[in-house]
Amino acid sequence: MRSPRPVAVTGLGCICAAGTNLAACLDTLYRGERAPQPPARFHSDHPVRYPVFAAAAELPGGERLGRTARLAIVAAREAVADAGWSPAALAGRRVGVIVGTTVGSAMNNEDFYADYLRGGEPPLAQIERFLGSNPATAVARDLGLTGPCQTVVNACSSGTDAVGIGAAWIRAGECDLVLAGGADELCRITYNGFISLMITDDAPVRPFDRRRKGLNLGEGAGFLLLEADGLRADRPPRAFVAGYGSACDAHHLTAPHPEGAGLKRALAEALDQCGAAAADLAFVNAHGTGTPDNDRIESRTLAVTLPGVPFLSTKGYTGHTLGASGAIEAAFTVAALERGEVPANAGFGEADPQCPATPVTANTPVRGEFALSQSLAFGGNNAVVVFRKGGAR
Amino acid sequence: MSRLAIQGLGVVGGFGCGVDALRQALAGAPPTPQPAPAGAGGPLPVLLAADDALEDFVPRRALRRVDHFSRLALLGASLALRDADRLETDRSRLGVVIATGWGAMATTFAFLQSFIQGGDVCSSPTHFSSSLHNAAAANISILLQVTGPSLTVSQFEMSFPSALLTARRWLAEERVDAVLVGGVDEYCPELGYCWRRFFGVADGPLQPLAFDRQSALPGEGAAFVLLERGDRSGRYGYLTAIGQGNLAGSPPALPQRLLLGADGQKECGAGYPRLLPTGARVAAYAPAWGSLPVGQAFDLAAAALAAGDNRLYPAAPAPAGGLELLGGESFGDEPVGCLKLGRCGDYGLLTVARR
Repeated sequence: MRSPRPVAVTGLGCICAAGTNLAACLDTLYRGERAPQPPARFHSDHPVRYPVFAAAAELPGGERLGRTARLAIVAAREAVADAGWSPAALAGRRVGVIVGTTVGSAMNNEDFYADYLRGGEPPLAQIERFLGSNPATAVARDLGLTGPCQTVVNACSSGTDAVGIGAAWIRAGECDLVLAGGADELCRITYNGFISLMITDDAPVRPFDRRRKGLNLGEGAGFLLLEADGLRADRPPRAFVAGYGSACDAHHLTAPHPEGAGLKRALAEALDQCGAAAADLAFVNAHGTGTPDNDRIESRTLAVTLPGVPFLSTKGYTGHTLGASGAIEAAFTVAALERGEVPANAGFGEADPQCPATPVTANTPVRGEFALSQSLAFGGNNAVVVFRKGGAR
Repeated sequence: MSRLAIQGLGVVGGFGCGVDALRQALAGAPPTPQPAPAGAGGPLPVLLAADDALEDFVPRRALRRVDHFSRLALLGASLALRDADRLETDRSRLGVVIATGWGAMATTFAFLQSFIQGGDVCSSPTHFSSSLHNAAAANISILLQVTGPSLTVSQFEMSFPSALLTARRWLAEERVDAVLVGGVDEYCPELGYCWRRFFGVADGPLQPLAFDRQSALPGEGAAFVLLERGDRSGRYGYLTAIGQGNLAGSPPALPQRLLLGADGQKECGAGYPRLLPTGARVAAYAPAWGSLPVGQAFDLAAAALAAGDNRLYPAAPAPAGGLELLGGESFGDEPVGCLKLGRCGDYGLLTVARR
């Protein structure tokens, strides 16, 4: 494989349960705060009220767009502003948009379908809103961008894949800039789905802890603005996308490969791309959903592949934001690499004998040029993105 | 850009299954739509795709929990591998890229039904996991043991050209040696209901080149290509350019010969005549597979087949005047573009050449 050149990250944006912008989210993470609650925006008749991590209730965009698209727009606008671009200045550029999602691409409007099942003739307003809410298109329209759009629907690795693919578009000269991110909303469909699979915890999520029972769902969006070389000499990048790898387990629709085969290959590919070794890594932002299978496989893989490298899951602060998670975690990874400190892995208290590697339990100073964020997904997808430090801001 | 060699085609749609069925449909024998359920308003004429041929590739037992959407994708992928004579080769450096406008829609609605009618505790885990858009790509990877990277893209009508952009990067960066790229979408009664409410029922055959008429009828199916780097000899020629964006930016330069993605949808159809270069000659083949978001995957398969056969197939009939039609001549050395217009100025342009 070729070793492609790094791609500059010049702007970050994030909204999730931890805050309505990246700075607020980081404050929450480093203070160790979290407050998952039973869902308030939709009804559930499950006997157990599983907690979720909800983002701010009010978002711009009104009823015209679905919530996932509105979350995406909030974070995308923040990333553009953080990079010092105005929408007007972007208008003449080749700007691509690539967004990972799950809920944001599914025609699963419950009210519409309940009426349909009763033999009614439901109105099409909700379908029209769905058709106008493709996340990548919605971001492009909002910012007046006319380059290629791609909504990645690789389940929970979508956001990480979006960042890796966006960097490839820049390197290939397809675009001058790419807004790469992920967005997903909380809804009753995924809430019921994960409960039906019996991988949801009725307590606040406990990534890598022995007592963990599953995930808590979350919602939000994260975006990175990626730029081609030489576009602005006066703007030092916050970081570089230095490596990306992805591979499929080809094993099971909902369970990871027992030996972490695809994850190991994705890790090897991403590290090979940037020429980094374990000793060069400041930390790993793990997927760490809190499900028994995921955390066991991830811990074992990290113990073998990256022994001694500090790692954490930030899902203890955000919940599992599905297609958004990789992008939100990418933004956190860049910010923590800049700061030289990672937050504690919220929810971890008791080591699991089946997990040979354990996460950091307190805010921890880290040293190293590179940091890595990884995602595992239904369908056996594994995606890894490696960031290298940028210039000082 | 670096060109990509097209080595195999795998197609299943209203026209039938496989390259020969596609060739027949393009040569002038388009299929007849069948009445399909479409909610309370009665049936709708639809070009449905049969997936039974999948059992030639995958044991029936392994398909027990695999839905129609994934079966169509598996069949398209398997046909493309067989067509390229790659069924027996190692798949550790093969990538899978799926484009879909709607995803596994029937299973999505089946999951909703499980808890709407039975209560939240009756939510079906099988339907939930199979309803994810990437379930088809996952089933291809699992059942065909493809361990390279996997990607699913959902961008409505632009899903296929967008997916190709990334497939091309994987090959250029040598992450894989070959990529299976396919478009897949399925019909279900709920879609039929929406279709009827949005568009009514067409009162005649699908006429893609009658741009001002709403003549679309729903279709379903899968169209796959097996792509390799362009330094290999391309059995079906080469994909030489991929463009996707919005016409509000820089409109794409169009070749003189174009397969139009026009599929009887009046809203998008109106944009084609405005874009065509002077003297352009066009064809549109949507009567063979109907109207579906990933129709451009079928257009690419048709262009590749024409390149492989060195024969441009006759265009669908056009209303009198205005358009110069392709068809009957050899493919020759000039490129052929596949142009798809979506809503609000979105476009996808793929260019195929024999050399």
